[in-house]
Amino acid sequence: MKIGFGIWLALIVWVRAAGLDFPDTLKEIHAPADVKTVTTDFEFTNRSDKAVTVREYKPTCSCVAVTIKGGKLRYLPGESGVVRAEFDMGNFSGVVDKAVALWLDNDPAEKPSLTLTVRVHIPVLVSMEPKTLKWDLNGKVEPQIIRVTMNHSKPIRVTGVSSSTEAFKKELKTIEEGKTYELVVTPTDIATPGLGVLRIETDCDIAKHRIQQAFAVVRKPSPAEAAAKP
Amino acid sequence: MNSWGQLAVIAAVSLAAAGGTFLVKGPPSRVPSCDPAILKPGEICLSQIPAGAEVVWVDARQRSDWEKTGVAGSLLWNLDSNEDMSAFEEEAALRIAGNPRVIVYCGDENCGVSSQVAERIRALDLGAEVSVLRGGWRALKAAGRVKDSSPRP
Repeated sequence: MKIGFGIWLALIVWVRAAGLDFPDTLKEIHAPADVKTVTTDFEFTNRSDKAVTVREYKPTCSCVAVTIKGGKLRYLPGESGVVRAEFDMGNFSGVVDKAVALWLDNDPAEKPSLTLTVRVHIPVLVSMEPKTLKWDLNGKVEPQIIRVTMNHSKPIRVTGVSSSTEAFKKELKTIEEGKTYELVVTPTDIATPGLGVLRIETDCDIAKHRIQQAFAVVRKPSPAEAAAKP
Repeated sequence: MNSWGQLAVIAAVSLAAAGGTFLVKGPPSRVPSCDPAILKPGEICLSQIPAGAEVVWVDARQRSDWEKTGVAGSLLWNLDSNEDMSAFEEEAALRIAGNPRVIVYCGDENCGVSSQVAERIRALDLGAEVSVLRGGWRALKAAGRVKDSSPRP
């Protein structure tokens, strides 16, 4: 009976030991501002004592092309391989994570064995802070400021400012040409809830950074905000 | 009885027990569990959302999935490079301004996109409380909250 039980336990251990060893499951990349695609390789080795099959690999968005080197999906003990992921970075800037999930052998559909992640850092050439200006409904009509900062090796000038509504007056002030600007915004009607989209257009040489937007809103403060006020 | 015979007996007993459990209790539950005690910061369980609460739902899955099986009235905001992030921002600002609660979901807890989208919505600083739904769309489906689904026990 002991021998049979031992064989049973060994079988359980044998099944659970199945897996691929990835030295890195998270890779960080600092990309240039005009990046279009990012390609990353994830190397792995089968360090278990049985063959492992990559049953399925799926990115978390349609912007990723995933391949396994040579199209090989079954790896004997000791064999190595490479998962290559090519990410289309589109109009992203800032930090963005792109992930690929891998299902091995008998992984359930809802739980892949592992997730490979690429964290891409893309410079923000034109920043607007804060992103939203807020006024309380029936509050004080006071101007507020959005600071526009250029973070490029060459000057970036604001060439136009537009608003989606007449409910907010806007005035652009140049603090340092090509580097820093202030957008002064004042609501014209504080008694009606409303939202305005404020867009600035620049002469940035990289198209995806050229237009940026921020928001101005007149609204009833949330209960948490109202409670926080003296 | 030799060792192989013993192994066969153990296997037969195990299979009989498993089969009996299946017959009595049914197939294994695929309903994602959610324990509020072990949530990550910014996450929420579906059971913690009061019935009738005003919520702006944000679907972080691919557009085709949102169109087919999204929560009724939800917004789309994913990180696909072929989508217009400015349009997502604008639509979200229009819907979120004046709403106290936003909940972002993606396919399931393995997706990872919903936490990034939630961070982008928080960065808009619209004053709403932004949470990520633990279990994502699978939890909503199990609760009968998406198109063509009914609540499961």
